[in-house]
Amino acid sequence: MATLLTVLNALLPLLYLALLVDYGATFFLQRRVRGRSPWLVGCIAVHAAFLVLWTIQARRPPVANSEDILSVVALATAALYLAVELKSRDRRTGAFVLLLVFFFQYAASILLAGKSGGAEAPAEVKRSVWGGLHVMPALVAYTALGFAAVYGLLHILAQRELRGRRYGLLFDRLPPLESLGRMTWHVLLVGFVFMTISIAVSPLLFWHGQAGGAAEAVTAKVLAKIITGSVAWVLYAAAVLGRWLGKWSPVRVSWIAVIGFVVVMALIVASVLLS
Amino acid sequence: MQRLSVIGLSHRTAPVAMRERFALSPEQTARLLARLHAGPALEEALLLSTCNRTELYAVAAPHADPADCLLQNVARVKAADAASLVPDPAVFYRRAGADAVRHLFRVAASLDSQIVGEREILGQVKRAYRLAVEARTAGFFINKLLHWAFRVGKRVQAETDLGRGSAGVAPAAVELAAHIFSSLAGKTVLLVGAGATAENAARALLRAGAGHLIVANRTLYRAEELAQQLRETRNPEPGQCGMRSAECGVNGGAPGPFSRDPTRASQRSGDAASQSSKGSGLRGAGLTRAELATDVTTEAIGLEDLAPAVMRADLVITSTASDEPVLKYEDLAPTLVRLDHPLVIIDIAVPRDVDLRIGRVPNVFLYNLDDLDRLVARNIERRLKEIPRAEAIVDYEVGRFQRWLDSREVVPTIRLLQEHFARLRTEELRQHGPAFTSTEREQLARFTEHLCGRILHGPIALLRESAETGSLSEGLAIADAIRRMFNLDALDDTDPGDEPPSEDLP
Repeated sequence: MATLLTVLNALLPLLYLALLVDYGATFFLQRRVRGRSPWLVGCIAVHAAFLVLWTIQARRPPVANSEDILSVVALATAALYLAVELKSRDRRTGAFVLLLVFFFQYAASILLAGKSGGAEAPAEVKRSVWGGLHVMPALVAYTALGFAAVYGLLHILAQRELRGRRYGLLFDRLPPLESLGRMTWHVLLVGFVFMTISIAVSPLLFWHGQAGGAAEAVTAKVLAKIITGSVAWVLYAAAVLGRWLGKWSPVRVSWIAVIGFVVVMALIVASVLLS
Repeated sequence: MQRLSVIGLSHRTAPVAMRERFALSPEQTARLLARLHAGPALEEALLLSTCNRTELYAVAAPHADPADCLLQNVARVKAADAASLVPDPAVFYRRAGADAVRHLFRVAASLDSQIVGEREILGQVKRAYRLAVEARTAGFFINKLLHWAFRVGKRVQAETDLGRGSAGVAPAAVELAAHIFSSLAGKTVLLVGAGATAENAARALLRAGAGHLIVANRTLYRAEELAQQLRETRNPEPGQCGMRSAECGVNGGAPGPFSRDPTRASQRSGDAASQSSKGSGLRGAGLTRAELATDVTTEAIGLEDLAPAVMRADLVITSTASDEPVLKYEDLAPTLVRLDHPLVIIDIAVPRDVDLRIGRVPNVFLYNLDDLDRLVARNIERRLKEIPRAEAIVDYEVGRFQRWLDSREVVPTIRLLQEHFARLRTEELRQHGPAFTSTEREQLARFTEHLCGRILHGPIALLRESAETGSLSEGLAIADAIRRMFNLDALDDTDPGDEPPSEDLP
């Protein structure tokens, strides 16, 4: 089992890299723009199998560490993109989404490499229901906000091309500006809602951190999470309120989607570095 | 295949003054085909008549001249003198055999069109085929040939970028809008100016699904007239130029209002009443009621109501004869800065109608005539790069059609039939022979040989007779039927090629 997990852990980034090359060909060479990809389904199935096996081996769900979360978010993002592709039958944005997926899984595989599957989970995750209520919405939030960042960036790039009256690669290949803006807004909204839930639960997780009920100490890692999480939440809240009440334009929302996700990534990096 | 020929004239060989003499409406085409059907000269015939070409595809009887048939019958249908119809015979081109097939395939693939890659020609070829079927001048050969041509046209459309991107300024405006809006359904389009330019853009946008049109003009009456015409627009007569037929060019063969001559552009954009009726008016427009968005609404306003109308619009197209900007920055900027959705402004007037500073307002996308021309030039350049691939498809399909046709020749069909029966005979003898003595087996062999000969005598005689005395179509049809009946294609190792499926006719 351990050997199989090691092999799958090494294989997954390569599979996503191969997919990335395939979707890159779709974008740059305009091959198979319409349709669906059976390889993406296969890759997601392998990834899901890997996480199931990891769960069995580690005797815990893969949500304890940043590297676990990176892998789960990579899978969730790939699955979300598959749903988008099945509905739209349009593969043009796949390269951009899968780039994000590849980096998430690559980072996760690097961090997971060499770790025993039997590593014990941090006490607050293994024993506290609050951990689940904090982590699960956070995973959905990371996935949706990652998606929003990708589409937001595409929206910004497309806007620049169109306002600049340039008829280049992006003009040719990207979906309509309105579609990109709408997609960014919808997934940002979903991500914000789940982020709010996750943040709302986190104080309870903090105070019920250990089995004994004692409050968890404010470590540098926790402090970093609080600061970056708060900054990101404020940014996304501004985007949501601005769009609803202030009629902010779609491109402004896209900028916040990108910047906000950079902050979220900073949170993850800080969490990893300070672990 | 050598008996197939095409005779015709097109934009490549004849000026419009000559082409219009041979342009035929569907009714005229039907009458001409009926005359051909009644006469002995042509076994099969199909007439393709568009703004840019009139071509007769014919399987002629021996010693018949399709050119003469075309000339005489067009003259009769148009009640004109045949001799005066064509002062210069050099305008006609003529192809036969494989060259005629290649020409048809190239036409169907829009490789011979005035704007390479335009997609309407395939529909026009289908309509011509339908008329031939109704007139009973399309026999077995024309039937197979045309279905093959439809496949070629579709292959080129599907496998190359030959038809991708707009090749005219009005479609380029729609293409730009398509890169910004996911759909024009429900979108409001504001047209400023009521000349031919605005009309062309209106047609293109209605085709694309715009839901509401506001027409603004200095004269309210003219704006109302245009709005009314948009609601009542009709199909043109096929064969007459109009926006309907893209093979005629962007503006139906009439001089384009998007001409780079600023004087012409100003004149055309301002005054609907001053324009010629041919090819420019909405009466010659290309939309039926069915093609309009089902709930399209229109309204007419004067220029004094322009500012609020701009705020309601998603897409603005300006084309007036004004020397000063009609959309001024000072008037619009205070409200435009509050835009929360994209606003596309396409200024196709010369001098320009829109203050350039408006293009700097967030969410405003401002394009002028040069921008549209660049887009068109880019698309045309890309289409030209696709020509070799499209030609390769045509060459390949010509070869396959030739092989299919050869497989329907009499001699190979007879050979295959005989081989098929010989094989059946041998297999049955091998299977059942052990039950008989050697003497009985010899008798059985002679018996089966005679039996097969007698069975095959009828079909083989029919095949030989059709080849010697019958029509091309009849011979092909008989050979085809026999090959299908006995599944001889499966036994043919020369790869006769798949026949294309039948097409639904327009």
